[in-house]
Amino acid sequence: MELINAFSVSLQAVWNDSGFSVFTMGNGIMILVGLILLYLAIVKEFEPLLLGPIAFGCILANFPRTGFLTDPGLMQAIHYGIANEIFPPLIFLGIGAMTDFGPLLARPSTLLLGAAAQIGVFVALMGAMFLGFNVQEAGAIGIIGGADGPTAIYLAIQMAPHLLGAIAVAAYSYMSLVPLIQPPVMNLLTSKREREVVMEQMRPVSKFERVCFPVASAIIISLLLPPIAALLGCLMLGNLFRESGVMDRLSDTAQNSLCNIVTIFLATGTGMTMSAEEFLIPQTLLIIFLGLIAFIFGTAGGVVFGKIMCRVSGWKINPLIGSAGVSAVPMAARVSQIVGMKAKPGNYLLMHAMGPNVAGVIGTAVAAGTMLAMLK
Amino acid sequence: MSQPVTTNPWIIMLINMTVVFLVLAALGLVIKFIHYIDPTKSKLEAEEKTAPAPAPAPVKPAASPQPVAEGIPPEIVAVIAAAVASYGYGLEQIHSIRPIERTGWKNAVRTQITQRV
Repeated sequence: MELINAFSVSLQAVWNDSGFSVFTMGNGIMILVGLILLYLAIVKEFEPLLLGPIAFGCILANFPRTGFLTDPGLMQAIHYGIANEIFPPLIFLGIGAMTDFGPLLARPSTLLLGAAAQIGVFVALMGAMFLGFNVQEAGAIGIIGGADGPTAIYLAIQMAPHLLGAIAVAAYSYMSLVPLIQPPVMNLLTSKREREVVMEQMRPVSKFERVCFPVASAIIISLLLPPIAALLGCLMLGNLFRESGVMDRLSDTAQNSLCNIVTIFLATGTGMTMSAEEFLIPQTLLIIFLGLIAFIFGTAGGVVFGKIMCRVSGWKINPLIGSAGVSAVPMAARVSQIVGMKAKPGNYLLMHAMGPNVAGVIGTAVAAGTMLAMLK
Repeated sequence: MSQPVTTNPWIIMLINMTVVFLVLAALGLVIKFIHYIDPTKSKLEAEEKTAPAPAPAPVKPAASPQPVAEGIPPEIVAVIAAAVASYGYGLEQIHSIRPIERTGWKNAVRTQITQRV
């Protein structure tokens, strides 16, 4: 009898301590959301390297009583790395080591396309404010239009940490949908003649220029916008590893091992912010809608400015490369190439589109820095 | 969190877009300045002038004893050289041109990768 009693009490204690006893409908829905994201990552291959860990983090975040964010341990350390803006600059270090600024250095005018495409950020910001978000939340939502995950996370942490999960998911989801979102906008805004413009081959870029650029731009931008000095500084440091020619081991580590490790932490930690209480709110749907608006207007801004540059340059610039100004490296540049090839087979725009594409990364960081200076 | 400078979305948009354009335009000037003071520029330009135009000629026979494999017509070599040059790479970077091994599986994978690109 005593044995049965002890067994029963123990079972009850195990049940009371288990997550099942306090499992809510919201947790169930969020685990389902995590499974859907996992499906999109693995089966549909939508940014699988990012969406995969985000989805799994979302599932983990909805197990009750884990104490992930309150008890010392790995999960709390990951959360610390996100909450204190450690991971986004480290990702930028890797991105810098992977980025070739050559096309931008060969044709600096394409920097303006990267600037024009930031219009999507501010259209979404306006939309968010009209829909009732406060100015900090609207700024964090708007940056989705920059199509730059680490910058979106960096800004969201500082201006609207409670919206981080929704903003990160919207940013990465739309980045993977760039090949579907951009072509209709590009075709709608350009004529056949504009799409068929063949661009001249770019001039060669010397090693001197490649080494000087990251150093000079880090100094100028960091002095002008200190809030993004960590982001831009790491981007340019990574690029210096790559271009100096004497730091190959560091470059290799930054663009492979380090970037992969930090991606795991950043994406899993972002997913872990998607708890039912913070994600299952009406604002999440609005954020996802505003993200789409931001992408569409960003693409349109780049293409329209590309049309202006096309006329000013005497039909030497194909407006299709303007859409690459929304960052999303290198996906957006690849979309310019595909749409250009459809209009005129044999017209290679990829390298030309890489200029505005990397300019978009800098432009988004500058937009984030300006918003931090103005709105935080 | 301190007080925002303004909460008018139109003003925020105007100021931010102006700053983004100015900063990136300034970066453009910096790039032009770096190009202007580049001490290696004249050497690079001289190399560019003396470099042969993308022509059907096979390139640099150092990498392999036969850079262009037998049976590849000069027209094909010209097309490959022009395509590589259109991406901004020099012809000296072409080490050899040879037909790839063709099997059903490899062709299927190649088609899939090309479609993705």
